[in-house]
Amino acid sequence: MARKLKQLYLVQRPPIKSENPKLAYTHAMASQTAEIYLEDGEEVIPTLAMVGDGVYNVVNNQQLMKHYGLNSNENHVQMALLIDLKVLVCKEDLEARGISADRLADGSALGADMTIEVVPFSEIQKEMEATDQILCF
Amino acid sequence: MKLGVILSEAVRTEETYDRLQAEKLSVVLAGNGIYHAVSKKNGKASEVLSKKADFYVLTEDLESRGFTAGDLVDSKIKPIGFDGLVDLIMDQHDKFIWL
Amino acid sequence: MGKLTIGVFSSLVGGTTLDFSIRLAKAAKDKGHDVYVWTSGNGTMLSKTGQRAFKDYSYLAKICEELAAKGVEFVACEACAEARGYHKEDTFSVFKRHSMDWYLAKCCQSDKILHIGGE
Repeated sequence: MARKLKQLYLVQRPPIKSENPKLAYTHAMASQTAEIYLEDGEEVIPTLAMVGDGVYNVVNNQQLMKHYGLNSNENHVQMALLIDLKVLVCKEDLEARGISADRLADGSALGADMTIEVVPFSEIQKEMEATDQILCF
Repeated sequence: MKLGVILSEAVRTEETYDRLQAEKLSVVLAGNGIYHAVSKKNGKASEVLSKKADFYVLTEDLESRGFTAGDLVDSKIKPIGFDGLVDLIMDQHDKFIWL
Repeated sequence: MGKLTIGVFSSLVGGTTLDFSIRLAKAAKDKGHDVYVWTSGNGTMLSKTGQRAFKDYSYLAKICEELAAKGVEFVACEACAEARGYHKEDTFSVFKRHSMDWYLAKCCQSDKILHIGGE
């Protein structure tokens, strides 16, 4: 049976020490090539949501490549935006950590039309209810 | 939504659990999460148990850590095995998450 | 009966989360469900051949073989495995290796999933 599957990737941890946040991005972006394993009419539609310390993943100016030779999660979020994935960031959690909207990653330099959406947690709760599956990272 | 949660940590670092809302919520304490089912720090049960939810504890993980059903701090916590957990996941909830 | 996909990102050694995943897979299979296990991140440790049984470390190779014989499908993330030096020739016989899109597709084709993050 054809199914358009909605998945919510809930990212709760800061970048780098745990591999989990990066794997949230790489798995979500794999939706672009999942069709090789899918039947006609099937589709996977991921949404990424940063909550708690997960909001640190989308802070801009991450210099992981400069210091460790590794892609940062800022790079990953830019790529996610470039392929039109929806990226939500919890407004209350940004504010609680003193992170202003101008400190968030921007995909426009890569040509992305999508931008990060800063939303109250109530909107993320609605996504949790509307989605078919929730994956916590 | 009917949501099931497996809580696996004794010391929680996520903030998700406190915010979860669901029309039907079940919480399965597994791994080190079982300590929420048996501990009373300074006489107080874990805040985890204050959520409006059905609570379960995984018997294998409870016993692996030296506790039994007789040690549970609240009678609302029901011991289950993997067999029961499969039914919770496959038949009784829309979604299940691991925290 | 339904289809259950379990994604697990935790290490074989250092905890019992992978044990949990495999026991859940067994219980689901025993009840007649179709079960798929995706390992990624440190979870790919389970896909490494030559695991030896010690009483101080989790040993899941035997139960995985039994489950595979009953039809449980085991797949490891190829990139995660390669990054850890687990190459194709190092792969435990019950495991296949695919890219992450396999997991997403299997989620799409399953009735329920349980995604278990790693360390």
